[in-house]
Amino acid sequence: MTAAAPVALIVDDSPVNRKLLARHLESLGIESREAGDGRTALEMLRAEGTDVAVVLLDIVMPEMDGYATLEAIKAEESLRHLPVIMISGVDELDSVVRCIELGAMDYLPKPFNPAVLEARIRASLAGKRLHDLEVESAERQAELLRTIERQKDELSRFFSPQVAALVSSPEGHQLLAGHRRVATSLFADLRGFTSFSERADPEEVLGVLRQYHETMGALIVERGGTLEHFAGDGMHVFFNDPIPQDDHVERAVRMAIDMRDQFDVLAAGWTKRGYQLGFGVGIATGFSTLGRIGFEGRYDYGMVGFAVITAARLSSVAAGGQILLSPRSHADIEDLVVAEPVGEITLKGFSRPIAPVNVLRMRDVDGSTAESADEGRPVGA
Amino acid sequence: MNGMDHSEPILDLEVVAELRASTGDDDEFLRDLVATYVDEVTSHLDAMASAIDAGDPEAIVRPSHTLKSSSASVGALRLAAICRGIEAAGREARADRLAEDVELARATWAATLDALRRAELVA
Repeated sequence: MTAAAPVALIVDDSPVNRKLLARHLESLGIESREAGDGRTALEMLRAEGTDVAVVLLDIVMPEMDGYATLEAIKAEESLRHLPVIMISGVDELDSVVRCIELGAMDYLPKPFNPAVLEARIRASLAGKRLHDLEVESAERQAELLRTIERQKDELSRFFSPQVAALVSSPEGHQLLAGHRRVATSLFADLRGFTSFSERADPEEVLGVLRQYHETMGALIVERGGTLEHFAGDGMHVFFNDPIPQDDHVERAVRMAIDMRDQFDVLAAGWTKRGYQLGFGVGIATGFSTLGRIGFEGRYDYGMVGFAVITAARLSSVAAGGQILLSPRSHADIEDLVVAEPVGEITLKGFSRPIAPVNVLRMRDVDGSTAESADEGRPVGA
Repeated sequence: MNGMDHSEPILDLEVVAELRASTGDDDEFLRDLVATYVDEVTSHLDAMASAIDAGDPEAIVRPSHTLKSSSASVGALRLAAICRGIEAAGREARADRLAEDVELARATWAATLDALRRAELVA
């Protein structure tokens, strides 16, 4: 059979009626299959269900009558969508109503009128085509969604999960294009890494970096930071963008403390192998510009502004083990941290000195940490 | 049985003409269709007689229904009417006159076959 000719299944126990219907359908360009009872019809539909586009169904038949056949078709997932037109005599209109309630689409009165037959068949075939298009469209949409999910998955291997999600989100385009927002920037890098990398074997250097990146990367994900980049031993992570985080300063500081703790564990191992490395952090908060930064072929989702420069400079002056917090960041979470002043520092390129603090640890809400005894209580506590 | 039976023509030539026109004035098709009809009638009449012999009026419903339908399609309206009466009686399990009615159907079929021959629809 050709793909172009729609196929109708005629289910009628009268050979005369089957022959007559087939003849009418042929003149409409519709191919026919014939079944003398419902059971045979169902077997044919199950065998070639997708091929048949419409079923013409008599009501009174041997083996399995029209009602039972109709119910069976509507109960079967793969056949349910098939339009069924009941064939009925004028004295069977009550039965037709019942069939329509059971899911029949229409009815065809006997004796057959070719014009009525054509109208009903065309309507049913159009309905079937619409259904097929809907199914096809749903399949395409599902495939598209799977592709997007797969891309998101791939993207998240290259970017931070937040940025990967952003790229495929409805508001992604706008956010990527650039926006301004208060955000917290965190720079961290290793002290002594340059001389270590000059002395050690490349495998050793890359091994240390891999361990370091794995450990720090897990903490960034845990705190919901957006990693702008790893550059050798340095990294830039920011908070409150693209996903808003009310507690962005606190998140940055908690992450820095976790990183310092984890670094100490790593460094203990490295010290045994003769490497002296330290870990310094700079954190600053401020109104910044965020979005896609770079050039065609290589973009990063980045943050630029005064806070970024401040954090970078603080990181570069931090001694091993120090977490230097800008005054603005400190003011935001003063009650939450135990910090010590480090005096005024004039950062490179800055005209005025600033007074950052070094974060020692988080302060428990009730101030009851073991080490808090010799520290100042939170103001008003 | 209603009194309509004998008012219907044995073979309605108007129905035959419509049938011929709606199937493309194809005499070969029409004769083939009538041959199919002739083939099925005897089996339906036999099934109806068997139902009566078995004392099972409900078993008469399907063959009388199908014969009614096929007969109406080719214009054998009197046989169709008789079968409609038999089908109704069968549905209501009224067995009293069924045997006579089936005999009447058989006699009417003989007359119908004659009429189909006269109309040159059966060789």
